[in-house]
Amino acid sequence: MIKIKGLTKRFGNLTIFENVNVQVNKGECIALIGPSGAGKSVFFRSIAMLERPDSGNIYINDQDITQKGIDLNQVRQKMGMVYQGFHLFSHLNVLDNITLAPRKVKKQDREFAETKAMELLNLVGLEDKASFYPSQLSGGQQQRIAIARSLAMEPEIMLFDEPTSALDPTMTCEVLSIIRKLTKMGITMLIITHEMNFAKEVSDRIFYMDIGGIYEEGTPSEIFDKPKKEKTKAFIRKLKLFNFRIDSKSFDMVAMNAQIEVFCQKYNLGSKQVYNVRLFLEELIVELIKTCYTNSPPDIGFTIEYSDETNGIVIYLSYNGPDFNPLNNISSGFDNLGMLLIKRMAHKYDHLFENGCNSIIINL
Amino acid sequence: MNSSLHAITQSFYDNLIAGDAYLIVLKGVWITVLLSVSGLLFGTIIAGFFCFLRMSKIKIFKITARIIIAVLRGSPVLLLLMILYYVIFANNRTDAVFIAVIAFALNSGSHIAEIMRSALGAVDKNQLEAARMLGFSRSKAFFAITLPQAGKIAKPVFQSAIVNLIQWTSVVGYVTINDLTRSVNSIGARTGDPFFALFFGILIYLGLSYTVYALFTTGERRLEAK
Repeated sequence: MIKIKGLTKRFGNLTIFENVNVQVNKGECIALIGPSGAGKSVFFRSIAMLERPDSGNIYINDQDITQKGIDLNQVRQKMGMVYQGFHLFSHLNVLDNITLAPRKVKKQDREFAETKAMELLNLVGLEDKASFYPSQLSGGQQQRIAIARSLAMEPEIMLFDEPTSALDPTMTCEVLSIIRKLTKMGITMLIITHEMNFAKEVSDRIFYMDIGGIYEEGTPSEIFDKPKKEKTKAFIRKLKLFNFRIDSKSFDMVAMNAQIEVFCQKYNLGSKQVYNVRLFLEELIVELIKTCYTNSPPDIGFTIEYSDETNGIVIYLSYNGPDFNPLNNISSGFDNLGMLLIKRMAHKYDHLFENGCNSIIINL
Repeated sequence: MNSSLHAITQSFYDNLIAGDAYLIVLKGVWITVLLSVSGLLFGTIIAGFFCFLRMSKIKIFKITARIIIAVLRGSPVLLLLMILYYVIFANNRTDAVFIAVIAFALNSGSHIAEIMRSALGAVDKNQLEAARMLGFSRSKAFFAITLPQAGKIAKPVFQSAIVNLIQWTSVVGYVTINDLTRSVNSIGARTGDPFFALFFGILIYLGLSYTVYALFTTGERRLEAK
């Protein structure tokens, strides 16, 4: 279906990717993951020839579309692209957004195009919004319309460029459920996404892209569970980590807690576990600021790691200063109730002191 | 009370009825409308051309258009008109109205060119790309996506450019054209009661401006109804 050979793209002296060779079979669903700035979007735009590659060939159904004299408008009719920012036609209502291309490009008559548009609106669950303008719709609704607009041209290939990055969690769900439906319809799909669970669940293969090109490819379990190459390993591991630094006594604890919660939710942790993680960190940090950093700004960092095997959480806390373990320094009275609590509830905890740096590891 | 009412009717009669003065005024209105409409028509065509050059990727076109637009926009239309009338067309007997149309077309054209350029620049490029991905050719996408949106953005400024043009046509008396301003002025001079005639002139200009306004709003309603 799509065969890419030796594809290279440069902007001036900057090489975005070099010598990319991949093949996507008909009906396959590919998730493209990787760090921001790795050139995933440029790769997509190159496949659609919106960016001219510097060298290499792209074969769509055995036709090399990088050759001169190819009618790209014809080629693009077979490709649908869905963007992070939706890009609906703001001067047209929903129905016209969907029927515009079939009418003007495929020369379908209005009635036919509109009947089909209504079917597509039914598919994305927005039949009642046909006469609305894009600005009257939520982000998730706009994105579903954008998907319907692409589908109206009956593409063989759909490219999704971070379709849910601009959406909040409920809207993300709306859009992902539509994409799930499409996978069952046999359209060849490529999806750039940061929703790793979604990528794992929906894709047949995963391309991991890092600076310079597609670095590793494999099935979801190959990439997520046993990545072979160094950068992929680091990327996958980093997904399971949450880092935070505290360098001021007036740090934003509300934001910290919110971020911890978002991180924990990604791994479907129970609310009790999330509560414990937050409680432990809060107590420890307050205790450390109170005892170690009375005269100087705090220098505390922590990492939360999620482990697949134990379905558990490990907290790594490190702080500079004299050798001090708050968990051992428990005097009687209510002052240290928090520390007492942690000692009781943690599965395991350790304290280390090396080169003026304390570290505490807690297993939950 | 009665006497002042009488004075007004008398003034009205002297200024507009006596000696078929209203015919002179009507002729003046016709000239003003003619200058405005043809100035706008040719101005818009010129503007499209200027704008095309100005946005061209070829440097020489771009710079030339930029200079022409800057000069035309930066100089009073009356001076342009006088240069055309007394210098460029001084030696042949070209109709003054024709020369005035050229002057107003050039002047309003340069303004409208900039209006077009800023409106085209304000259209979301991403929507254009989305259209290209749906298989639209460059020109089809321009007419289906960019142009209607740019039109919407440009509308209010374009409308005030038209009203400006109508008002600026009032200077053509300098080159012997009997437009609305000149005709009401000469009537006022003749009757020795300029206030009424000039005030009446203002009312007509107001009427013309609001006609433009009304045309735009009904046009908009029709577009929305479509």
